[in-house]
Amino acid sequence: MFWTDILAFARGPFFRVALWVFVGGMAYRLVRIIFLGWPADKVPRRGSKLWGALKSFLKGILVWPFIPWVKNTFNCNPVVYLAGGLFHLGLFVILILGTAHMLVWKSLLGFGWKTLPFPIVDWMAAITIAAIVILFINRLIHPVLKLISGPGEWLNLLFVFLPMVSGYVMAHHLWFRYEVIFSIHMIAVNILMIWIPFSRISHFMFYFFSKAIHGADFGKRAVEP
Amino acid sequence: MEKQIVLNTFLKETGGHIAAQLEACTRCGMCAEACHFYQATGNPEFSPVWKIELLKRAYEQRFTLAGKIRLAVGLAKPISEEEISHFSKIVYEACTMCNKCSMVCPMGIQLGPLIHEVRQGLSNAGVVPAELLAAVNQQVEEGSPLGVTDAVYKSRLEWVADEWEVALPQDVKGADTLVVFSSIELMKFPENIAAIAKILHAAGEKWTLSSQAREVVNFGFYEGNPERTIMFLKRIFDGAGDLGVRKIVVTECGHAYDALRWTSYNLMAVPQGIEITHIVGLVGDYVRTGRITLKKGAHNDGRITFHDACKIQRRGGHIKEPREILNVLAPDSFAEMSPSREQAICCGGGGGVIAIKDADSNRYAAFELKVDQLRRVGAKTVVMSCSNCRLQFTDCVQHFNLDIKVAGLCQMVADALEK
Repeated sequence: MFWTDILAFARGPFFRVALWVFVGGMAYRLVRIIFLGWPADKVPRRGSKLWGALKSFLKGILVWPFIPWVKNTFNCNPVVYLAGGLFHLGLFVILILGTAHMLVWKSLLGFGWKTLPFPIVDWMAAITIAAIVILFINRLIHPVLKLISGPGEWLNLLFVFLPMVSGYVMAHHLWFRYEVIFSIHMIAVNILMIWIPFSRISHFMFYFFSKAIHGADFGKRAVEP
Repeated sequence: MEKQIVLNTFLKETGGHIAAQLEACTRCGMCAEACHFYQATGNPEFSPVWKIELLKRAYEQRFTLAGKIRLAVGLAKPISEEEISHFSKIVYEACTMCNKCSMVCPMGIQLGPLIHEVRQGLSNAGVVPAELLAAVNQQVEEGSPLGVTDAVYKSRLEWVADEWEVALPQDVKGADTLVVFSSIELMKFPENIAAIAKILHAAGEKWTLSSQAREVVNFGFYEGNPERTIMFLKRIFDGAGDLGVRKIVVTECGHAYDALRWTSYNLMAVPQGIEITHIVGLVGDYVRTGRITLKKGAHNDGRITFHDACKIQRRGGHIKEPREILNVLAPDSFAEMSPSREQAICCGGGGGVIAIKDADSNRYAAFELKVDQLRRVGAKTVVMSCSNCRLQFTDCVQHFNLDIKVAGLCQMVADALEK
């Protein structure tokens, strides 16, 4: 009876609170940045800012993260580049194209969509978890990352790792009773959602700002972003 | 006290533009792989992300709720006086503001301009390397960081006109184009001045020099000091206004081009109706439109390669013109270094670094990446369109005892002009 109550709490009130903290926190940060003031750029252009920004996004989404050698610089650190790229790809596949998660979206949004077969999503999940471990090890040993990592960076990894692993264990019915591992998974997800607005995991929102700024800055100079 | 000035500058300068980029940083550290100073020395403090640490901390602790809370309960580290002088050494002596890091950042953060903000804070507080500051002050007082006073300017130009038998029109009212040289060219590469004059004459350009706008270099921009940057820019715009020109041509100087072409408009009131361009852009147009013709294959001295200057190519956009020119001058022997164009590796001497003695070891270390590139392409000649790069190359070729000729692009063009 005990775990059923916890599960009901984690899926019910706790989930709703976490969701609201997530949505409210991100909205607050978005609004704050927008209202900080954006001085007009009076520099005459040599090329198109819009085209530069578009190219910057297209490259960022389609090309860069999966083909390290398009940027010569990544000869230096291709493993991290691939781990980072695969981690993000895996995350999107699991969250959007995994059947269990699609059903969560359906209950929130009111409509669903076609999903990928379980084995594909399952392999993606395994790759994603491996990628986190690689990124964690890299952060432990890379001199620059050691210098710039504070508690926030380590907690980011932990709070992303927990929902991933608990979800994986749950999908494979390993070790725990179903309601136990489901509770753990939901609690981990809730903690992550509450944590995101206070952390740099929120980069998914500011990505659209910085990528646009980058593309526009190169575009106006008529340089490939 | 300095701490407070730095902090105030950061607070004043931080708008949505800067804040959004600081927020986007994921602390992934990839920018380090792009930085020639980090690559050459392995010093993690030279990673671009660390160079904006002060700006980031000021932003977090003063603007964001989470940062304020962390500061209040003692979880965040406030900026200290010691750190200010520590970071001064890093951002002035181990950064050329080449902005290669922004090419690599998965978030596309414009790290170069953000590091410029850090320099601005440090410069307002007066925490600037002494040699750089001395050069800035010399430019304030004498009009040039290299000691080119009015008298030196005059006599030097007379000598160039004499030595290379070329006319150097001065203070011609009603000319179309004002050409502003850098004192590096005047003092170290005078042949460049003669070369550019020859090209302009050959193209039938109505051009002039100005005794008022006689220094294109902007050491205030290196320093990151807005008042002095504006002061030096104003000298050029005033000179241009007095002569009534329609175009200002920046010669082979990178930072000057960035300041004049891409920064001035957002800093100050720029006179309307004056086009600002770089000599490489202008010469490229001459070749394209047939205003000058070049001897095909004029260069026949073995493998030649082009070094992209961060401020003229990556940040200036004049990437195609030098290639077009070199494909005429050296169709068989021209080859690209890898990486090149907008992804090129910086020479290591820009951003004021070459003016600071303490930065010499960094500067030479960074150049080793360039040596490697030159060796891989098998270059016998390396050509470039920035005198600051050329100063670094000339010095380093000697330092590393390389058998490589360092050339200016305009000079090659002038030598290849069809009579």
